[in-house]
Amino acid sequence: MDHRATDRYQSLKLAFAILLLAAGCKVVPPPAPPPPTPPPEPERKEAAPRAPPKAAPAAPPKSTAVVPAPAAPRAAAPALDLRSLEQRLKDTNAIGVLTKLSLKNQVDDLVAQFRAFHDGRQPPTLTELRRPYELLLMKVLSLLQDSDPALAKEINASREAIWSVLSDRNKLSQFL
Amino acid sequence: MKRILFVVSLAASIATAADDPKQRQDLTAVIALNGKPCGEVVSYVVQADNDYVATCKDGNRYRVHVKDGRVIVEKQ
Repeated sequence: MDHRATDRYQSLKLAFAILLLAAGCKVVPPPAPPPPTPPPEPERKEAAPRAPPKAAPAAPPKSTAVVPAPAAPRAAAPALDLRSLEQRLKDTNAIGVLTKLSLKNQVDDLVAQFRAFHDGRQPPTLTELRRPYELLLMKVLSLLQDSDPALAKEINASREAIWSVLSDRNKLSQFL
Repeated sequence: MKRILFVVSLAASIATAADDPKQRQDLTAVIALNGKPCGEVVSYVVQADNDYVATCKDGNRYRVHVKDGRVIVEKQ
């Protein structure tokens, strides 16, 4: 009985081993598919970290957006330091002496037109004065933009502020 | 005596026919600012202080000088 049992056990063991071998050959491929599945997990993990940064930058702008909003108008006001701009225009090496003098002549002519307007002589209306003002500003900017871009940028940023001074009689009188 | 005068005048003409690129650029800008056709000043002659005759690339010649604090550009 023992021999029979051992024989059966051995035959079963052999059969099991063959099954294992046979199954082992088939089992190998299945592990292959699993690897593809793990990558998606890391990708998800990568995607997850990406999402938080997006959320993180989004949050700071909200906090900063509130602060700069009131700060922007405050910054615009000091930008119009006409005296400083005038001095920088005089001191810049981007424009030659004759050009500066010629520009001054044209600025003086334009200011005289504004004064005439404020005195009630209105053939050149305020709307009509806007064009020569823009033209003169373009001339100044074109002269500065290559050699003194910082000054050109500041003058361009002060475009409306300068216009508000010129078009307002009281403000203009403070600068003359 | 004539030779000496000739040499002196030649030297003077050489001295006044200066060719400073910055001055040429300045004259170019002034002529353009005054709305005159020029393109670019290729040469100029100094006649006196703040008094130049500029020759443009397109052949135009202008006298650029200062009078009563104003820059005057006159076609020659």
